[in-house]
Amino acid sequence: MIALLAAALLQQPQQSPQAPPRDSTPPEAYYGVTEWREARAKLEPLMDRRGFTVYIIGDMEGLAAAVRNGTEMRPVPRGGGQDHERFRAELTDEINAVIAGARAAGATQFVVNEGHGGTLFRNALLERLDSEAILIRGYPKPIVMSTGLNPQVDAIFIVGAHANAGTPGIISHSFAFDSFTVNGRVLNEAGIAAFIGGEMGVPLVLASGDQVLTAETREMLGPIETVTTKLAMSRSAGAGYAPAHVHGELQAAAMRAVRRVKTGELKPLRLSRPYQVRFCMRATYDPWFVGQVRALKGLRADGGDRCFAYTTPSAEDVGDLLNRIEWIVLKP
Amino acid sequence: MIPLLLLLVVQTPAAPPAPKLPAPDAGAFRVLIIPDMEGMGSAVDIHEVIAWNEGEQYRTLTSDDYWQRFRGLLTQEVNAAIAGARTGGARSFVVNEGHGGNMFANVLPWDLDTAAILVRGFPKPLVMITGIDSTVGTLIFTGAHAGAGKPGVLSHNFAFDAFTVNGTTLNEVGINALIASEYGVAVSMVSGDDELIRETRAILGNDFVGIVTKYAVGRMAAITFSPTRVRRMLQDSAAVAVRRAMSGAFKPYRLPKPYRVEFTLRRSYPDMVVQGVDSLHWQGLEKTGDRSYRLVTSDARQMGYLLDAIERVVLH
Repeated sequence: MIALLAAALLQQPQQSPQAPPRDSTPPEAYYGVTEWREARAKLEPLMDRRGFTVYIIGDMEGLAAAVRNGTEMRPVPRGGGQDHERFRAELTDEINAVIAGARAAGATQFVVNEGHGGTLFRNALLERLDSEAILIRGYPKPIVMSTGLNPQVDAIFIVGAHANAGTPGIISHSFAFDSFTVNGRVLNEAGIAAFIGGEMGVPLVLASGDQVLTAETREMLGPIETVTTKLAMSRSAGAGYAPAHVHGELQAAAMRAVRRVKTGELKPLRLSRPYQVRFCMRATYDPWFVGQVRALKGLRADGGDRCFAYTTPSAEDVGDLLNRIEWIVLKP
Repeated sequence: MIPLLLLLVVQTPAAPPAPKLPAPDAGAFRVLIIPDMEGMGSAVDIHEVIAWNEGEQYRTLTSDDYWQRFRGLLTQEVNAAIAGARTGGARSFVVNEGHGGNMFANVLPWDLDTAAILVRGFPKPLVMITGIDSTVGTLIFTGAHAGAGKPGVLSHNFAFDAFTVNGTTLNEVGINALIASEYGVAVSMVSGDDELIRETRAILGNDFVGIVTKYAVGRMAAITFSPTRVRRMLQDSAAVAVRRAMSGAFKPYRLPKPYRVEFTLRRSYPDMVVQGVDSLHWQGLEKTGDRSYRLVTSDARQMGYLLDAIERVVLH
């Protein structure tokens, strides 16, 4: 019984013909943007406390063979191409590969969190994904790349990750930012996930993507397991290993990662509190978006009209702030 | 205004009496299954439950194959419920499309369990509970969603922002359970997200077998289980539900008569919808506010027929 739901949902405000559509629905007014406590409270009781739970973030830019944002990262109606479907399958296969490896090393439970916005966080193929996995999908969802993350998780993996904004990696970027630091440390998206997990004692122990991503993530987090899926030659070209070869590498790396967590060799990322967060919004964004961000609570201007500072004792609070900003720039 | 009158007469021919569905074989226990889509396993987004061709606003954002994929999953969920019900002892299965997307034609008839009778299309009498009569042994709702304004995945309630009977807020499951009670039929199983199950427990009580297919973390996001796992849960639970239903474990949902039905049409609807409902001149329907109405009746079916008429105004 539904037809009309969408009419309400997708209703556009009245506007003059010159102005592009602007939706300024505040984050608190839409269920799913800010409710990170509830999401965590819902996932935590589902965790296998006696076993070993791996939380897998699935992004797409760093998948084996992926190079083009325009055609491969989003579906046709969002300006993408038919190849997007192939890369949805590749994403699912790479996630399945790390699940298989982790399981062989004794992991018992798998939570997969959709980390790619191109299809509004609905990319993994449902019937192809390991059927034991829990899948978090849809948008908006609280702390989008770390939804429901909780201390019962034993390790975080990120597959298909991309290098940080401003680097020469394939489709490099970082959320809505040109730069992002915590206590002066540069963090890419994998690093931010490690920071949020680290505070609750959960280490990020595997990252896969191009050579720029794997190198920068080891620099941020230390000698975690990494799988280089391809060698970036520009932001939209690279030399790739065969997907089947990458799947084997992912499986082996996942096995090693779980073993190294069990022996206590890989530690969570802990930064000193309170966290001093600084970021600059992408220069390519229209001033309207920056204005919406400026209106968020707790932000201070920090040099230039696109740069802000934020201080908080909670990493999840930082995640929530990122999510509010994502909502401003990514609203469906 | 004779021409207009004539036009009205021509446009609203007397509907033929709805045919009765063939009765089950003697002794065969009948299950009426009402599959909706918002609460089914994995579904989180409007494009997964509404076909791309239903209007410009659905053409955006995502591939047109999304709804097609979810139709397949929907059909398999219904098959799982039927398989479980059969294990539990049921021998007759009526499936009534409960999802308005694509005008109540979402299940794939060729892939559905061949023992089932499938009611599809719109308009149909009593919309979500077409096929209810005293030959039905028990009711199963799958893929149901939380009520309007609730923090569930794609939550809503028919055409309303608010709907109460005798002051109790009813969601779609509650409304249909009340109609079914006129035939002495009870709900034995409901599946949907955690918010839907919680709110339906508050209405129907703790007896029915509830299946949480996913945990809502946003209006269009959820913690989900694999289709395989959801089907296994549906199959196992349907067997338990039917076994209990056959032993008379569930009581029909009753409220004191006469029913005081009060509702408010959605704020988001254009005024045209309100005018459409006003011009129904429904017997006994009082207007109590801008978009609010009251109907007092001693037969829940009358409430159902009114919902039909309103649904027809809205879906036009």
